Amino acid sequence: MTDTDTAYGFRPGQPNRDLTGVGRGTPYGEVLRRYWQPVALSADATTTPRRLLVLGEELILFRTRSGTPGLLYPRCAHRGASLFYGGVEDEGIRCCYHGWVFDPSGHCLEQPCEPEGGPHRDRIRQPWYPVQERYGFVWAYLGDPERKPLLPRYDVLEDLGEGELLIADDSGVGGGGPKLLDFNWLQHWENVLDPFHVPILHARFSGFQFVREMALMPEVRFEYTDRGVRSTQLRTLDDGRRLRRVTEVMFPNLRVVASPRLAAGRTDILGWVVPRDDESFHIFTLARATDPDYLRRLRSTHDGKPWAELTDAEHQRMPGDYEAQKSQGTVTLHGDDHLTTTDQGVAMLRRMMAKQISRVADGGDPPGLVFDDRDVVVAITGGNFLDD
Amino acid sequence: MAYTPAATSGTRPIAFLGLAGVIHLDDAPAVPVRTIRVSAWGWWAREVAVPETTARQLATLASFTDVVWISEWGHNAHTAFATALDLPSRPWPTLPVQFDKLAAIRVYAAALPWVWIDDPLVIPPDATGGLVVPTDPRRGLAGVDLAAIRSRLPERTR
Repeated sequence: MTDTDTAYGFRPGQPNRDLTGVGRGTPYGEVLRRYWQPVALSADATTTPRRLLVLGEELILFRTRSGTPGLLYPRCAHRGASLFYGGVEDEGIRCCYHGWVFDPSGHCLEQPCEPEGGPHRDRIRQPWYPVQERYGFVWAYLGDPERKPLLPRYDVLEDLGEGELLIADDSGVGGGGPKLLDFNWLQHWENVLDPFHVPILHARFSGFQFVREMALMPEVRFEYTDRGVRSTQLRTLDDGRRLRRVTEVMFPNLRVVASPRLAAGRTDILGWVVPRDDESFHIFTLARATDPDYLRRLRSTHDGKPWAELTDAEHQRMPGDYEAQKSQGTVTLHGDDHLTTTDQGVAMLRRMMAKQISRVADGGDPPGLVFDDRDVVVAITGGNFLDD
Repeated sequence: MAYTPAATSGTRPIAFLGLAGVIHLDDAPAVPVRTIRVSAWGWWAREVAVPETTARQLATLASFTDVVWISEWGHNAHTAFATALDLPSRPWPTLPVQFDKLAAIRVYAAALPWVWIDDPLVIPPDATGGLVVPTDPRRGLAGVDLAAIRSRLPERTR
């Protein structure tokens, strides 16, 4: 009898583009555009224009000499020269070609080649996006201006104590690899709801990449919340205490993952998984700490070595999150997935994403948007908790 | 892909059933429900809302069709809901698909008549080839007119 199901003739499946695509007009891209997104460190908004790629859109970030950040469409409204080559002045950025000046809201302030400095310049508007600075990041809103929400605050980042500082980081903390993560953002974000990979990938397979307690297979409770999906993982430690680790995703792309080195209490770290395009993303991380080096010390190691120092052979022998998620494909082939017992959290997240796509397409609001000052502080519940 | 689902009797129409929005409800229910704790061999647990009449509806559906789960719950569907819905000990076949279900349904059903009952979230607008029944996600299977489905499906295929 012939044994079948060989790879002969096998045809790979397709990605779920509704969930993974981030560009203008894409289903989830429109969900992402309903929220403020961190797009750069505040320190990177300077008088030297900087190219950004955010949700598939090329943009120019700059800071006027009077200190206001701006985020503009790169092609000058005049004849398309890039504002990347522009000169930043007190109140705006001047195009290198014919000198048109735009303020951070795209108003044209000057047209020096035109008679009288451009009597019709008030009719010109360079496409722009609103930005705000908070917690050391520049945040941008790329959605419908009529539906712009407030920029939230997060309770775990407020009211710093004596000696505490807020760390703003864009080096890819939590990604287990390089700063620029070169695969689809969802492969990383949904990993937050996959606690079952931790004892395998980060312990049994590759040695203890965090701490030994994380090698225990947890009992998990999954639940929908008003803002996303939460998993509560219970592990019974050698001393009889129970470790209750709560992680969650909050729409549209926030990861709430407490220290994998098990610092006790509510999490002091939040991370936004911000797509550059469909095939790459950055992780913007905020942490409150007393040690300025806290986030660097937090990162996983492989036989004690940081990821960037591994040889090719060591990457293969001790894979971590980056190797696992990147190797799923630049955009994974969801049509080939076989969701099973351990994928419950991932499946719940994908379903909730599909529901928000439908809701936004129908003109509704996705979860967690803040329109009232009284709701501007968002409560975070994730953390590591030890129960006797 | 290399997943081989169990077969049905091959003599009755097939009822493909989703779970979310069909068996358990995510949205605010419009019918009386009970909250049950479902689990997969203790690896994880969830509390879900199941309409009080779902078990009876499911038994009725199974009386004139072969039920096949088509869901992201995979093979856990039957196990997780067996007690709450008084399901038979022998699991019904499973197609582990979350979104692009129609192609899997057509391949699996082949020439057998079928009805697909699911949350409208996962039903494409152009779904054809069988009887497609979108649920009201606030009622799920509890709000589906099974007599109407029965009248539109052949009793026996051969």
